[in-house]
Amino acid sequence: MTGEGRAELTRRAFIGAGLIGGIGLGVGIPVLQGLGGSTSTGNLLPSRHPLPRPFTLPFRVPPVLQPTRSDADADYYDISQTATMASILPGVKTAIWGYNGIFPGPTIESRRGRASVVTHTNNLPVPTVVHLHGGRTPHDSDGYPIDYIYPVDRSYMNQHMDMNRRMGASMVGDTREGRRVYSYPLEQRATMLWYHDHRMDFTGPSVWRGLAGLHFVRDDEEERLGLPSGPHELPVMITDRSFAADGSLFYPSMDQTLMNTPGITGSFIAGILGDVMLVNGTPWPVARVDAASYRLRIINTCNSRRLDLRLDPQPEGGLTQIGTDGGLLAAPIRHEHFEVAPAQRLDAIVDFSGYEPGTAVTLLNDFGDGNMSQVMRFVVGQNAGDRFTVPDRLSDFETLSPAQSVMTRTFQFRSGDAGRMKGWLINGQPFSPDNIAAAPALGTVEVWRFTSDFHHPVHIHLNPFQVLSRSAGGPGEFDAGWKDTIDLRPAEEATIAIRFEGYAGKYVFHCHNLEHEDMAMMANFSTH
Amino acid sequence: MPAATVDTAPRLKSPSWPRWVFRITSTVAAIMLFNQSVFAGQFLDGSYDSLLVHRENATWAGIAMLISAVAAVLVRWPGRGPWWPMAACIGIFGLVGLQIFLGFNRVISLHVPLGVSIILLASALAVWSWRRR
Repeated sequence: MTGEGRAELTRRAFIGAGLIGGIGLGVGIPVLQGLGGSTSTGNLLPSRHPLPRPFTLPFRVPPVLQPTRSDADADYYDISQTATMASILPGVKTAIWGYNGIFPGPTIESRRGRASVVTHTNNLPVPTVVHLHGGRTPHDSDGYPIDYIYPVDRSYMNQHMDMNRRMGASMVGDTREGRRVYSYPLEQRATMLWYHDHRMDFTGPSVWRGLAGLHFVRDDEEERLGLPSGPHELPVMITDRSFAADGSLFYPSMDQTLMNTPGITGSFIAGILGDVMLVNGTPWPVARVDAASYRLRIINTCNSRRLDLRLDPQPEGGLTQIGTDGGLLAAPIRHEHFEVAPAQRLDAIVDFSGYEPGTAVTLLNDFGDGNMSQVMRFVVGQNAGDRFTVPDRLSDFETLSPAQSVMTRTFQFRSGDAGRMKGWLINGQPFSPDNIAAAPALGTVEVWRFTSDFHHPVHIHLNPFQVLSRSAGGPGEFDAGWKDTIDLRPAEEATIAIRFEGYAGKYVFHCHNLEHEDMAMMANFSTH
Repeated sequence: MPAATVDTAPRLKSPSWPRWVFRITSTVAAIMLFNQSVFAGQFLDGSYDSLLVHRENATWAGIAMLISAVAAVLVRWPGRGPWWPMAACIGIFGLVGLQIFLGFNRVISLHVPLGVSIILLASALAVWSWRRR
């Protein structure tokens, strides 16, 4: 080979290597950046206030609300929606909106078939709406998104509405001045419900400011099982928040008055992921537990964040799921981890008796990064308590089958233009109180088929449902039992079976990523 | 080696820089078009921002193909190369326009196969640019 030929070869090799390297970088960098995928649809909103170290603050349980009176038919409660200053982060006060001025709001304890009548007084500056999530509730108490309770003191509202009357005043439903009586028959299976704000266009920021609380329904079927109770039953309300430099809750609303212009800045329309994990309102708390079996009533009340929960080290028997959104499962299911989308619940038995006293057991979130990969910690104490053996059968209920269905409907959950802004659509339509997407007859079973582009936890009001399939397969490993929210994953197709029954009227179904819900991913169905 | 002298004599009159320009522009365009599949995969995996990147990069990849069309003109004059790369670039640019239209209107059943076709065509063009001596 001549020297010239060798030089030519070297030159070609050099160019070839450069070419391959260039293509490798041009394609490889974007591939690697997106390799982890996305566990939640939403963008991280970093706090501007120093954050506490995890596992330094004590675990607490929201107080149980006592009825103001009771009679033969019902228990009567009064709740005042109030703006207060709360201690969430150490050394700073945070302005919140709270039911009775606390976050989470007070817990209501009810029994199946015994009505709870809750009078909400709106001492906040903006209109509010209360929805009992998972409640089998007549339309007029379900908290339809434009059935406002106007503030007792309307001066702030009038002042801000005068400046800009574009929204709000134009679309109102069945409104009340100052207070509203919500009547919950609660003729439904025992489970953990939650109540939260549901005002059209402004649910995300209102819940973010603190308007959320728990509501338990108990029944004889559940009691017969002798499940861990009292101090051995812990509500675990998990939610994420971000804090501004002054310690206030940070939320990028277009209109910080939350009066006129709905929406959110920039790409936060995808959802908001906070960087502080709160359990019952406390950042990364520590709970002292007995060496005993516990019943954990876990709920994800994040606006957008999905959770993949796991205990480390693993307890004996793992995380034994006994129930979900709509109450007990037919049979327990052992999990090593459990995915919970916004609004979903996990009712689980955990046996702490197998650990050495002093063991720190951490509840991890495998969908989170950094501190958000941790939720809370249990420290096992010296006291031994009862060990609960989970029975093989928990409950008997009907399994809905596609053969019972009188109607199959398809709903596409996708991004798109929602009128004046970018937003989220169901079957190409933004939410309007006037459009009825489905009118099922009471007493009938329908199959609803959902498709998604991103993560969409889809919640249906009034009645629970059962998951039939996901894409080409059966229900997922976290889909067992009666659900009221299905965790649709990106580019997924899922079917559910639902029996409409109970009450005639107009209800909504929507994505429970609250930013998606506010940006129009909601539709009506009307039962008759 | 008389044969070689005969062979290279006409080529000496045509400059080689146009084909280098075209190699670079067509390769960059092909990479940008391929990356559309990367961003599509990411938003199918749940990343909302990747949808925005997919949308933005579609425009830039189209512009890259137009720049390639200009480079293809240079391949012909003064490069004395074939005329068809100009047509190929304009044709692919047209397909990209159609592809953007289909994407915005969510005609996914056509958007995906057309996207694969565009990437194949743009890659073939880039490979040709390097093989041509």
